[in-house]
Amino acid sequence: MRYTPSILAVFLMVGITGLFSQVTAQVQARAAGQWVMPRTADGHPDLQGNWTNATITLIQRRRDQDAVYSPEEALRLEGGRAARTEALNQPSDPDRKAPPVGGDGSTGAAGGVGGYNYFWIDAGSKVAKFNGELRTSLIVDPPDGRYPSRTDAARQRMSEASQFRRQFGQYDNPENRPLAERCIVSFGSNAGPPMLPNYFYNNNYTIVQTPDHIMIMTEMVHDVRIIRMGTPKPLPKNVRPWFGDSWGHWEGDTLVVETTNFSPVQLNRGQLSGATENLKITERLTRADEYTLNYEFTVDDLETWTDSWSGEVPFTRLPGLVYEYACHEGNYALFNVLRGARAQEQREGSRQIPKR
Amino acid sequence: MRKNQTTLAVAGLAALIAVVPLMAHHAFGAEFDRDAPIRLQGPVVRLEWVNPHAWIHLEITKEDGTNEVWMVEGGTPNTLLRRGLRRDCLTPGTVIIVDGYQTKDHSLARANGRDVTFTDGTKIFLGSSGTGAPYEAEMLAARQEQGRC
Repeated sequence: MRYTPSILAVFLMVGITGLFSQVTAQVQARAAGQWVMPRTADGHPDLQGNWTNATITLIQRRRDQDAVYSPEEALRLEGGRAARTEALNQPSDPDRKAPPVGGDGSTGAAGGVGGYNYFWIDAGSKVAKFNGELRTSLIVDPPDGRYPSRTDAARQRMSEASQFRRQFGQYDNPENRPLAERCIVSFGSNAGPPMLPNYFYNNNYTIVQTPDHIMIMTEMVHDVRIIRMGTPKPLPKNVRPWFGDSWGHWEGDTLVVETTNFSPVQLNRGQLSGATENLKITERLTRADEYTLNYEFTVDDLETWTDSWSGEVPFTRLPGLVYEYACHEGNYALFNVLRGARAQEQREGSRQIPKR
Repeated sequence: MRKNQTTLAVAGLAALIAVVPLMAHHAFGAEFDRDAPIRLQGPVVRLEWVNPHAWIHLEITKEDGTNEVWMVEGGTPNTLLRRGLRRDCLTPGTVIIVDGYQTKDHSLARANGRDVTFTDGTKIFLGSSGTGAPYEAEMLAARQEQGRC
């Protein structure tokens, strides 16, 4: 198709006028002290920078809770967290003895030996505030803020996976240890998708954006997601990279990312346990203001959950830097765990270590 | 009097200290022996400011008079770096007290730093509530006056 010079001139005028009015609106907004959406050279919202999703709001809501906290409730919770930190900063008895034989009663990963001081922890200090609401859970759909039930088929898959693992000693070799302990991916669902806080430390992300690719690096275990932009050309079904195969596109000023082809190893962990290879996760990232990136996600796999489930998580500007997490560099722990199991076997007679 | 107050504070905090990691890079219960508690005291000789966990090396004097270097496991250094706390905040020669549990292989001379303090009981670093509360600024200022991070 050929355009006459006069038609080209009209197109040019329309383009220049549109651009001029957009620039004028931005200048006026800035002059009025309003935040203006930053944009990259190709005109899309600029999501780049360092962000954190650390929060004291849990993924799943308590059964007896409303969807939002009152401002007074939120202040009380945040004050409680600050008071706890202050209490744990207080001095210990310099004449203290060794902790008790048989363990100190701690639970979870502390496993009766107490972990380490709280000053190493950075678990978040604020209630999640999304679109002005002080949220009691990150899950918003189902409306009760809780995971939907797993299907019978999913329960069966989880049971079979558990039975399969039980035939091996959990300390027999490195491959039997958790992915995080092996420095392969972060614990919890930090890198995701969905990208969720770990309620412990380093809940930080760096976003780098080009017209063709968007990279999201998670501080924990330097997990990197590379999102290809444009019309999806999905990987073959048997190619399943860490964090899945992600494709992105823009819907207005929202970045929409669809991810499939999850690694079967990741499908057996945490929130995604029991999921099938047909799992699809859709994420939506929208700049809400200068300091906030609204992150929404939906998990679809009706062979695993009786319904899809969705969440909303505020990512806020990180007032600091993201540091390298060279996990293999000092991973004495894996060595200590495996060697400890061998030493325990020797002390107690061969193969006394209980299986899972 | 001061010591009594400290002891009371310790008694009140015992439960808090005991419950820190709910989830972590690895299960401490798999690495350390709950039947082998230790208390170590001695000067820092080296600090490995690495991930996934920092390791403090300190030299202790055993009952037979010989010296032995122990390694004590902490958390990720990244959180401390963001607060401006550096490796040189804990200089070699500084005497510290550690209580924790020994690794399951008792030949390794390694333990978790369940509670790591200076000899007066103060913590080697301070946690941050992240709220910027006034008490936090006051505590940090007081420590800087003492030449501590």
